[in-house]
Amino acid sequence: MADAIEKVSPLHALAEPGRFGDTSGEPGVGLSERLCDSLVQVQAWPDSISALKKAVKSVTGASIKPGNAVATKGDVVLMSTGPGRWLVEDETDDLEVRLRKAIGADIGAVTALTHARTVVSISGERCEWVLASGIALDFSADAFPVGTAKLSHHHEIGLTIHRTGDQAFDLYVVTSMVRSFWGWIARASAEVGYTVS
Amino acid sequence: MSAYRVESHGRIKHHQPVSFTFDGETVEGREGDTVASALLANGKHLMGRSFKYHRPRGAIAAGSEEPNALIGTTRSEGRFEPNTRATVQEIYPGLKTESQNSYPSLKYDIGAINDRLYMLFSAGFYYKTFMWPRSFWDKVYEPFIRRAAGLGVSPTVEDPDHYASRYLHCDILIVGAGPAGIAAALAAGKSGAKVLLADEGAEMGGSVLSEPGVNIDGCSAWNWLEARLDELRGMENVTLMTRTTAIGYYHQNMVGLCQKLTDHLTTLPEGAPRERLWRIRANQVILTQGALEKPLVFHENDRPGVMLAGSAQTYLNRYGVLVGRRPVVVTSHDSAWYAAFDLADAGAEVQAIVDLRDKVQSELSDEATKRGIRVLTSHTVTGTSGRLRIKSIRINPLRGSKAGRAETVNCDALLMSGGWTPSLHLFSHTKGTLRWEDDTKAYLPDQKAEACHIAGAGRGLWGIGKALTDGGEAGVAAATAAGFTTIAEAYPVENDREGTGISLRELPTDRSPGKAKAFIDFQNDVTAKDIRLAVSEGMHSIEHVKRYTTNGMATDQGKMSNMNGLNIAADALGKPQTEVGLTTFRPPYTPTTFGAFAGYHKGSHFEVTRKTPIDDWAEENGAAFEPVALWRRAWYFPKPGEDLHAAVARECRATRESLGIFDASTLGKIEVSGPDAVEFMNRMYTNPWTKLGVSRCRYGLLLGEDGYILDDGVIGRLSDDKFHVTTTTGGAARVLNMMEDYLQTEWPDLKVWLTSTTEQWATIALNGPNARNLLEPFVEGQDMSDEAFPHMSVSQCTVAGFPARLFRISFTGELGFEVNVPARYGRALWENLWEAGQQYDVCPYGTETMHVLRAEKGFIIVGQDTDGTVTPDDAGMSWAVGKKKTDFVGMRSLSRPDIAAPGRKQLVGLLTRDSKTVLDEGAQIVADPKQPKPMKMLGHVTSSYWSETLGRSVALAVVQGGRDRMGDSLYVPMPGKDVEVEVTGTVFYDPENARLKL
Repeated sequence: MADAIEKVSPLHALAEPGRFGDTSGEPGVGLSERLCDSLVQVQAWPDSISALKKAVKSVTGASIKPGNAVATKGDVVLMSTGPGRWLVEDETDDLEVRLRKAIGADIGAVTALTHARTVVSISGERCEWVLASGIALDFSADAFPVGTAKLSHHHEIGLTIHRTGDQAFDLYVVTSMVRSFWGWIARASAEVGYTVS
Repeated sequence: MSAYRVESHGRIKHHQPVSFTFDGETVEGREGDTVASALLANGKHLMGRSFKYHRPRGAIAAGSEEPNALIGTTRSEGRFEPNTRATVQEIYPGLKTESQNSYPSLKYDIGAINDRLYMLFSAGFYYKTFMWPRSFWDKVYEPFIRRAAGLGVSPTVEDPDHYASRYLHCDILIVGAGPAGIAAALAAGKSGAKVLLADEGAEMGGSVLSEPGVNIDGCSAWNWLEARLDELRGMENVTLMTRTTAIGYYHQNMVGLCQKLTDHLTTLPEGAPRERLWRIRANQVILTQGALEKPLVFHENDRPGVMLAGSAQTYLNRYGVLVGRRPVVVTSHDSAWYAAFDLADAGAEVQAIVDLRDKVQSELSDEATKRGIRVLTSHTVTGTSGRLRIKSIRINPLRGSKAGRAETVNCDALLMSGGWTPSLHLFSHTKGTLRWEDDTKAYLPDQKAEACHIAGAGRGLWGIGKALTDGGEAGVAAATAAGFTTIAEAYPVENDREGTGISLRELPTDRSPGKAKAFIDFQNDVTAKDIRLAVSEGMHSIEHVKRYTTNGMATDQGKMSNMNGLNIAADALGKPQTEVGLTTFRPPYTPTTFGAFAGYHKGSHFEVTRKTPIDDWAEENGAAFEPVALWRRAWYFPKPGEDLHAAVARECRATRESLGIFDASTLGKIEVSGPDAVEFMNRMYTNPWTKLGVSRCRYGLLLGEDGYILDDGVIGRLSDDKFHVTTTTGGAARVLNMMEDYLQTEWPDLKVWLTSTTEQWATIALNGPNARNLLEPFVEGQDMSDEAFPHMSVSQCTVAGFPARLFRISFTGELGFEVNVPARYGRALWENLWEAGQQYDVCPYGTETMHVLRAEKGFIIVGQDTDGTVTPDDAGMSWAVGKKKTDFVGMRSLSRPDIAAPGRKQLVGLLTRDSKTVLDEGAQIVADPKQPKPMKMLGHVTSSYWSETLGRSVALAVVQGGRDRMGDSLYVPMPGKDVEVEVTGTVFYDPENARLKL
């Protein structure tokens, strides 16, 4: 029963495919939404960070990178969201269970956030421009290289932002606010023209 | 060609005529004209009426500092804007403009009677005039003042434009693209730094645009400018932005820019915003905003045709317009002489140059003589004539500080200059300090509060040569500070016009000073006499003088009036200027639209709205909604013909009698994990947690350090080291922040992680006698019997196949369960329960019914029944405070004498003697409604509802010594009646809690 409704998104009524905004030229950006199959937060104690990193690697095969560099391997994404704290994403449905087995209370805490975030992806030539329309980060490639993630917010909407390519970002948006966020990013994208896929 | 257009001058496209309208009359201008330059080219100086006296006014300046020429503009259908400065608005075909503040017409304005009655409108007149009789305050004075107040009319339809915003990070931001700004950009740009050069004008160049006769680096000023701007455009690291005003300079080098994108266009590009608000975060800021010319203060200095000399020079050299064929120049500064020479060379018959100084440089007088211009040094101007445009002026020789016998000289324009004031508004926004420099007779930047550099006229360096040199050096300094290396070029300048002058108060006059209409603040109609009156009436602080007279408080922010006002106030006070001080410049630098600030956030996007996974179902089923914090919550579910009262009564009955279903997803949820989780909970909450077993729940009470109730919620223990904490809907973020604060600063030794899981779970509450009957078939992994799963239990099981955290708890007093499932399953579970619940006539209910049901049971809502001054004992909840606990947040405050004192307000129940009367929430409570006023207030009503279950009203209240008043009669004064109430306990329904045990 759960699988049958898994892909019902809070954006289902908003993110309809098509071409929107300025249609005079090529669309400046493309927008899409993605529901994580598994998104789990792992948190280490100050003296157990190494152990937690080993545990995460044993479960996912990917090694946590230093700083805000994002580790990816296959469908696994590892993002730092604070000291001793990471988000782990993959396309399985039992990631939380596997992490919980590997990370005991002596190593850290494991919390499922799969349903707590909705990913809005933006790509295209004008994606930096659109994001900078409402998020107070420097999105230039020097300041925000590919393969890094940062925490920010748009108004009161918390965001984890992963630069996945030269012209591509994934934004992990708090689910209850994703409809408001979509409304903003659609308005901000209208000036440069956008597609929804 | 009009009589005032000079084809040989200007940067406009003389071969491109452009028609627009002014007060319905077609006016022909040229591409590149502003409304003001086009009107002046057609000999029209009269552009508006002043605010208070309705005096005829024309443009006095040529830029954004203009105080007089404010007009209404209609750019296209629905796109109307009042108070646009005619000196800034560019013309285009189809633009409609209109004058303001006049009736029935600009030339014949009834309001001009105010000018005749000017003695009634002196400084502070409204403080003195509208005092009596008191009965007039509401019905006469305020309506009258409101009608008279304001300038221009508001648009009547919704703004069809949209507005955008953008953040930008750069190494160096340069504000002002005059010679200093351009030289700074060239130097900084060559360093490789990311440079942004912004200017409020339609084209860059600043004073270079008005000084075509200057040679720079071996070529004409305009050719040099074009070449250098091309050079900047060719640098990938340099961005040039025109029509972009720096409106505010904030902490940590953030500067707000407002960029006008479409106000000059006939056809709007698809999807283009009208304006974009930029928030620039710059490593270094260079301010090259130049200087503003200061008017002279003399009788009737506001007549149309009276203009700043530098502005007349700009109209000629940028727009090819002679503002007068027979102008007179009056000045205390050399710069006005150069304006006179330019106008004379363009064909004007300059009648005279009147200089207040005894002597001027011989080169100036020689040049004037060469052009046949009469020179009158040591002379003053004491008045002007002409109803709608200046016709003549009175010139008097100076005998010391007194004016001699007047001579009348005919003219069609009067060009004045009282010297120049560095434009330091943005610098002042940062709390940078200013110092008075006597050499330049100006306030100059002193101590900096931000990483900024000031160059050119902004720090009192007059002339293009000095500005170029200084700008280049500023560019080098900024680039170096930002970590780059560069050098400044040298720009040799020929025919430069630096000039010097003196600074004056109001000019000597041969008439009674009390009758002189010598204007300082043209927009607010403030005269020199008003300043002196304010001082004589006790306003000795410049801030008080400003507010009493309104000098500098108009939309031009006192750009032209502040220095003259200060000079005159200092003289009236008998103090040097430096002891009087300056008023504060505040953002925005120029008037900025609300649209620019709102950006994308209008309509449904004005505020973030949080929605639950079940929100769509509620909407589809006709729910009325209410905002709770940022959430949109279902308030009630009316059936056709039902109002709030009827719907809530039905929802209450259904829940009490059978089954209600409620979306509780908005409740805050925090997962507290770690080996020290129980210790953390013990320290945070008043309740003890050590002995709470796994799979059990407890009501938790959270206090602030002051001992007052801050939040509450039911907390379930999922395992030895994990708690599922719930908070109030509005308090979730506050509680999480508080917990994090304690954890990170007070108890870093505790191994605990906190994670907000509000978004992870959808929460569905089932309440009523049939709650278990509905739920049980869906549950796997948990025996639902009362014995196996008693009240205040939690289980991790599956419900309808979904992984769930199932709580048996109740906020209604009925048998109750709250099912938490991962959020995306929320609606599916709800629909399953809804469908299966039809056999029990399941009823969806909203927040209003929830409030009624909980009030019947005496359950508090934090923030409604508490107000930040209620302790656990005040709320009758001492039972929730662990008696054996040695510490928790707020514990020590509970022993403060006033917290433990008798007579505190305590939460009680109130039953009205007339059971049908429902009290007003917030109503005050008294012991005797007949006691003399002011009455002694004993407390107030916190919650009040009609209880359908009990067939009467119920209320909760905080009352002084409330628990000692059980059974007493008190009174609640309400509109039209005093309602007698009986003080009772807080539990009105099922005090034995029998219904929880079904």
